[in-house]
Formats: sequence, C-alpha cells, structure tokens
Amino acid sequence: MIKFSRDRKPLLGDWLVIVIGAIAVIYLFQTLWSNAPASQLQIRQADKIIGTYDLNQTRELHIHGPLGESHISIDQGKVRFKQSPCTNQYCVHQGWLAHAGQVAICLPNQISLQLIGENKPYDSLNY
Amino acid sequence: MTRSTIKKTSKSTSIQTTKADHHIAKLTALAIGLHVLEAVFPSPLPGVKPGIANIITLYVLIQYGFGTAAWVSLLRVFASSLLLGHFLSPTFVLSLSGALLSLAALWLAQHLPKRYFSVITLSILAAFAHIAGQLLIVRLWLIPHAGVSYLIPIFAFAALVFGIVNGVICKRLINSSHQIS
Amino acid sequence: MRQLLLLLTNLLLISCTPNEPLYNTQTYVFGTLVDISIYGESDEKAQAVATKIIHQYNDLHQRLHAWKPSELSTINQAFASGQTPITVEPDIAKMIADIAFLSSQSKGAFNPAIGQLIQLWGFQNDTFSAHKVDTESVKSLVAKRPQMSDIVINSNQIHSTNPSVQLDLGGYAKGYALDMGVAYLKQRQVNNALINIGGNIIALGQKGEQPWRVGIQHPRQPNAIATIALPSGWAIGTSGDYQRYFVLDGKRYCHVIDPSTGYPAQGMQSVTVLIPPQANAGVLSDVASKPIFIATANARVEAAKSMGVKHFLVMADEQDIQVSDAMQKRLSWLDTKAEKQLKVIQLD
Repeated sequence: MIKFSRDRKPLLGDWLVIVIGAIAVIYLFQTLWSNAPASQLQIRQADKIIGTYDLNQTRELHIHGPLGESHISIDQGKVRFKQSPCTNQYCVHQGWLAHAGQVAICLPNQISLQLIGENKPYDSLNY
Repeated sequence: MTRSTIKKTSKSTSIQTTKADHHIAKLTALAIGLHVLEAVFPSPLPGVKPGIANIITLYVLIQYGFGTAAWVSLLRVFASSLLLGHFLSPTFVLSLSGALLSLAALWLAQHLPKRYFSVITLSILAAFAHIAGQLLIVRLWLIPHAGVSYLIPIFAFAALVFGIVNGVICKRLINSSHQIS
Repeated sequence: MRQLLLLLTNLLLISCTPNEPLYNTQTYVFGTLVDISIYGESDEKAQAVATKIIHQYNDLHQRLHAWKPSELSTINQAFASGQTPITVEPDIAKMIADIAFLSSQSKGAFNPAIGQLIQLWGFQNDTFSAHKVDTESVKSLVAKRPQMSDIVINSNQIHSTNPSVQLDLGGYAKGYALDMGVAYLKQRQVNNALINIGGNIIALGQKGEQPWRVGIQHPRQPNAIATIALPSGWAIGTSGDYQRYFVLDGKRYCHVIDPSTGYPAQGMQSVTVLIPPQANAGVLSDVASKPIFIATANARVEAAKSMGVKHFLVMADEQDIQVSDAMQKRLSWLDTKAEKQLKVIQLD
C-alpha cells in the first residue's frame, strides 16, 4: 500500500530524526538532571529543628516564631511560605521550592525551610 | 479484515476471508506473543522495555495501511492484558495510553515524504510517543509527584535506542518480504 | 505486614545514609541566619565549640549594635557631641583602624561612616518598610561628607573631626565574625568546618574526602545558579539587592547605599566575590563586594582591582552577567540560561 524506499540503510530523513532525537535526549538529561528533585523538607525555628517532612504529600503546617504564626504549605513535591506575619514578606515572595539544596528563610520570624534530597549539590548557600 | 465480506445465507453465516486476513491474523497473534514474552521476562530497569511487539505494528502499517495497523495494535493490547490478567489494571492503562499516542504519532508521520523517511523514522517517533503517553499517565494518575521528571531522560534515551533498533529490524523484514513476493 | 514494610524502608534509609561525622547547627544572630557545620569531630565537642562561637557572635552583636545601646552607639554619641576623645576597647580600636584602611582602599565606596543615611533610608530597623525619603535630607547628609578619615585614633582614644560621622558596621561585622569563628576553631583544634553568616561563608579544611561545596543563590529565583568548591581558608560573599530592600512606586530600594549620592545603588542585582586564604578573608568577603556593587558599569573591574579581588561574579540583570576568568574556572553552573548570558572578563 504505502511505497517506502527499499533501501536497507537509513535515509537522509531518518538520520535527521536520529540526530534530533539524540539532541532532545541530551537536552532532557541536562535540564532534568541538573537539579535533583528533593524528597524531604526540614523546618527549623530559631536553633531548633521543628521536623523533617515528606515532600510527597499535601499538608499545611503552622509554625510559631517570635512574630507569630507562619503558614507553610507542602504540595506534592514542593513547598512554600504561604502566609507570614513579617513586614516585608520576602519569604512568601520566594515562592515554591522543589529541588534539593533550595532554602527559604524568614529572618524576622526565624523560620527556615530547607529541601533535602539524595544528592544535595552543595553544603551551604551563599546569598 | 477490511476486505472480509460477510455473506448471510439462509442456513448459516459464513465469513469469507482473504489471504491477507489470514496473514494479518497471524501477525496479530505474533504481536500478542511478543508482548506476553516481554512482560514475562524481567527488565533490568523497571519500565524500560524494548517493545518488540511494535515491530509488528510498523510492519502491518507499511504492508496494509494505518487502519489495519491500529486494529492490530489495539487488539494486541487488549488480548495480552486479558492473557496476563492485567485487564483494566494500571499496567493495561499504561499499555493502552502508550499504544494510542504512538498510533497518533504514526497517523501523522505516515504523511512524511517516503523518499527521505523510512520505517526507522516511524519507529523512533512511535517509541517517543509511546513513552510520552505512559509518562503522562504515570504523572497524572499513578505518581502525582514532581519527582517523576527525574526518570524522563532515561525513558527518552531508551525510546531512542529501541526505536532505532526496532525500526532497522522492521526495515529488514519488509525488504525480505518484498524479495519473497 | 505494614510494620514489616516500615522496618524494611527504615533499614533501606539507614543503609543509604551512612552516619557521617557531620554536625550542623543554625541560629539567628546579627539579624540573620548563622549556620555552622563541623566535620570529623565528636558531636559533643562540635556542639561545645559551635555553642561557644555563637556566644561570641551574640556578644559581638550586642557590642556593635547600631541602633540599640551598645559600645558602638556610645562611640556614635561621642562623635556627634564634639571632639572629646572617648576610650574604647582595643579590639574595637583595631577594627575601626582596619575599616578606615579598607574604606580608603575602596576610595570611599565602602563607607561605614554613613550611619545617618542608612537610618534615613530606614534600614536600621528590624522591621523596616517602604517609605518615602525626603530628597533634601539626603542631600544635606551627603553634603556633610561623613568619612572614615574623619576619625582620629590615638591608641585606644578615638574622636571624630566631623560630627556627622555615625558608624554602622552592618557591612563589616559578619565578615569579622567569620574570621573570629575560624580563629576559635583553630584554637580548639577543629580542622574541618564551614561557617555561613547571612550568606557569607568561610571554609576550614574540607568535608571528608571532598572540599566544602557552596551554592550561589540566583538573585530573582529561589534556586542556586552555580556551585563552587570552597577550599580551606577561602571565603565567599555576596551583596544583593534582594537581601534587604523595599519597593516603592515600582522601584526597588536596596540596603546598599552609594555614599556619593546618598541613594541606594541602582541597576545591580548581585555581586559575589571569592577571597583566597588570608588573615582577613572573612572581612574581605563581606566588604569587597560593595564597591563593585555600587560602581557604574565601566568602573566595576577597576573597583574589583582596587580591592584586590580576582574572583568575582556580577549580575546586573538576567541578561547582563559578568564573571572574571579566574572565577569562571572555579564555577560549576546549574542555571544553563544564565550560563549562556555570561561575559567572561580577562583580568591581567
């Protein structure tokens, strides 16, 4: 029905598809493997570790700091400060964190979120 | 199948089948066999499989056209899952979504100029579409977690390799069948 | 069955994370986060050493507080009230002499004598907020030209020839504390540690077989743009417009104030400097980024050179990223988009 070439070797277009496919695979490795997804969240208030939480869940946490209660929301692999009693709201503006090593800190309320994964790309963050 | 004619006589219903129908039926049986064989053998990486049954789909597409290929592919998915006892289980849904997306890719790709694109291209595109369909189900339904993205490059790489290999095998099959006829 | 599964996963987790001799503690001092990691010591010793360092930091913070009664505020009062010399602790006299030297090295771009300007902009406050600043007040404060060279140090007696000099060591104390921490670690024979004070980091030794690794924060996104190995004695520091700032009428006002204009520096997102091992590596990691941050686009390299900085990364915005060749050699980029925008500067 469909007359394809009888040549045994791949055709010009085949090579093109193979090359584009290879580039796509390399691109996927580069973009998706450079940031390892995190699996756990560590929350600290002042010098205490409040707890280590599984990131793979949907959960709202309320943590008390010197200014009051900060709302933290975990949503299937990512976490953010949802509400904070601080003035400048830098922590809320940080948005979602999803990769190992990412950190969000609310200095006024002394609460820090840190994502822990199998391959943490660094020991500490320069900011 | 498309060429079968059903004649209703007064006493019985007989289905007149062509030689092509027999050939297609044999190919479908072969595809089911390959599918089951692959399901039984353990894979070194869970989820990564060569998908040799797709060679049959591609072969039928070239020899008998898209409609027949779609029938063979879907029949294989349903029959194999019934044989393996996976019917309507997540494994079946994964199989089906992969097959549907890969058929969609083939439907589009069959219009590519034949002078430049052989069955190898079709095989690679189908393999990528197959994995895309499966990952979509995994991400949306089975593991709704951002961590799945970590696996995408591995599956994509496997799809490229097996896509090329299956395409080359299929091309040889087509060539030899032409030589016979 | 459920218990068995839990047990199995626990065993798996334990086998995956070998018990590393790594002690880590975090606390809040200097209005920011202090993070101390100690490798290769018993938990008891590491904890004792870290606790002592944090005590020293709290003590230093109390003494240098710019807007609460402290040794520093007493000095500032004396400066404001006339030229009568005041006796200060030897370490503070040494600190002020050191700051005066660094300030002249930066040609006044690093100027902790502008405490009044910092207060006017509202950054001398734990809970500062967006507010309009009177242009006339800025002008008059700049016209009074408070400078470090106005301060006269006579052994432990100091006075200022300019009553508008008000010290704010916000751009120095964290770096000083890094050096102080390392000195104490060495004294206690701790060989491997990493201290992070509000993003400024100094390394001592390494973490097992590997050097300490540090991520560099993206100024606009919650992730690291690159990582860098921090060998023993090296320090890294960043000045960013995202650390302390407010937005008024769509314009961002950050905490780094240009002493020559009296206004927060504009058109710069972050400047990171890497300092090789030396006695005041911590101080330099804190101080040396500021003159580069304030400098105009074509004066940045000159500003880096005047501070003796060979390793720097400058992000004016997402499209304008400059990195010195020596720095680029050490960076491992994570952000491929930023990496494509890089302009590598060859320093001789």
